[in-house]
Amino acid sequence: MPPIFDMHKCTGCGLCDSICPADAIYMQTAEDSDTPYLKYPEECWHCGSCRQDCPDEAIEIEFSPDMLCI
Amino acid sequence: MEIVNISTDVLIVGGGLAGTNAAMGASQKGAGVVVADKGNINRSGDIGGGVDHFLAFLNEGQKWDTREGFLNYVEKIGRGTGHLSIIDSVYCAELPDAIERMAQIGTPLTQPDGSFFRTGSMGQPGTFWINFNGKKLKPCLGKAVRKLGCDVLDKVMMVDLINHQGTVVGGVGFHIRSGKFYVIEAKATIIATGNTNRLYENPRINPFNTWLCPFDTGDGQIMALKAGAALTNMEYMRMTLLPKGFSAPGFNALVGMGGRFLNSLGEYYMEKNHPMDNRAPRYEVVFHTLEEIRNGHGPIYIDCRHLTEKDLAHLMATLGYDKDTLPDYFEQRGEDLKAKPIEITVSEGMQAGPTEVTGSGIKIDKESAATVPGLFACGDACDHNRCVHGAITGGYKAGKSAAAYAKTISRGENITNSMTREKIEWFMEPLQRASGHPYRQIEDSIRKIMAEHVGPRRTEQALTYGLEKLQRIESYLDEIKANDLHELMRTHETRSILAVGKLMATTALFREESRNKPYHHRLDFPDTDDTNWCGLVVVCKDGNELSCSVEPITYG
Repeated sequence: MPPIFDMHKCTGCGLCDSICPADAIYMQTAEDSDTPYLKYPEECWHCGSCRQDCPDEAIEIEFSPDMLCI
Repeated sequence: MEIVNISTDVLIVGGGLAGTNAAMGASQKGAGVVVADKGNINRSGDIGGGVDHFLAFLNEGQKWDTREGFLNYVEKIGRGTGHLSIIDSVYCAELPDAIERMAQIGTPLTQPDGSFFRTGSMGQPGTFWINFNGKKLKPCLGKAVRKLGCDVLDKVMMVDLINHQGTVVGGVGFHIRSGKFYVIEAKATIIATGNTNRLYENPRINPFNTWLCPFDTGDGQIMALKAGAALTNMEYMRMTLLPKGFSAPGFNALVGMGGRFLNSLGEYYMEKNHPMDNRAPRYEVVFHTLEEIRNGHGPIYIDCRHLTEKDLAHLMATLGYDKDTLPDYFEQRGEDLKAKPIEITVSEGMQAGPTEVTGSGIKIDKESAATVPGLFACGDACDHNRCVHGAITGGYKAGKSAAAYAKTISRGENITNSMTREKIEWFMEPLQRASGHPYRQIEDSIRKIMAEHVGPRRTEQALTYGLEKLQRIESYLDEIKANDLHELMRTHETRSILAVGKLMATTALFREESRNKPYHHRLDFPDTDDTNWCGLVVVCKDGNELSCSVEPITYG
């Protein structure tokens, strides 16, 4: 279920939420800053836009077992 | 519900590759432009994450490398699927400007040394593919469109056009996060919403794991149809070959660099089945691959082990330009192009053009105008643009034409009155239902029926029964429950997908021959019949029914 967010690097800018063509990434409000989460993991089509545009290099792509094993 | 009223010269529905080029074309001709997209135009559409190929003739000396050479190629692989005069107008005439424009916005089609890296495949007489690094193409286009002053409505899904006395005068949609409803009056409207995916059962399990953008769901084609526009080439079920578990593009790069198709008997099957072997037209490769699988010769592989280190390095780089995450996929799956063949399979089916150079969708003329006044179309949503090159050239052409048309329109009255509050509330109704079916349940049923009845081996009986089943599903559309605005978007997509499925089954039933097999393969009419069927099947609404006719295509 890509993408995977590294919360140590993420600064909560919300760019991934803004550009995700699947409308799969949303921000949730935390105490100190907003953080992204994958609300609709199955709808990600692995375009890699979030990883490419993340200013903090906080996103990695990890494919699901079905995609890697069939 | 908050309703926002906007008035503009040109409304563009869809801000992918075609829509952003349309916005540039219209804006640079002096029109006020509104672009609405379900996503963010910086990363939306088929090539949001990047692209590596652009098809072009470059007049570099060879006979095939000319306008005439290109049109001969269109006739050869797309006979009966596109008018050469329209392709000449919306692609050939626009090509030099398009190549220049890509360089101007910051994504040149050239290599760092200024040269073009060209490869050939898919039945081409030479090397029409240009490989380039298009990972930033959409961000560059998004920036250019915003810089031109276009009004960009990101995350706004358009759901219908406004028709006033037989003319399209704008459209309506909603913001998928805020729920704001937009009523946009426009002197000219351009549909640029891409093709239809999520239409067929997916061999890789997840219906969103598609070759082309899974959020392209035929919305524009269906809006246009409802507004009275004709569509063509809707019978073609496009397919390609892809890595087994990941529906990622890469076919042209793999074959263009010399990849060989291999069956499980260890035979390079295309080399015995087609004079152009692995570089045969895509539909031929898909057809023979399906035959290999049907004969029990699968799984199927692509073998790149013979490539030089230099070619393999280029291949891996360009695959990553086309699908940013494909190199990660190969790595996580343990694939190594140098060490062993890669397992591939036939993709899901989709509504899209029968070749790389002829399209499927809204019928356009030489000026990219649809058959209804006020409406234009471009990119994969229309019948004479296809692929990256078609979207960039045809998009710009549609933008220029729409701007010129808008200049001829003068309106004093409010012509959006037909979009009443009651109609607007209908679009949001799935949110209000206390209970109902999930959109996904309905969509899964559509995909199953399409795969079993409207697939790559069609018959009158299967298509007829398939249509009956699709008709039955229609009765459940008004019972879908959307739990939030995201699901409301998907619910409207489901409606479009079903409507496209019905169009495809209807036109496939009408065309009593086979053409570009397996994209339209009738087992009961297995031959190509150029005497009666060399042309477009034109479909439009006739009351509540669909009406089909043939528009012949002649060649000089």
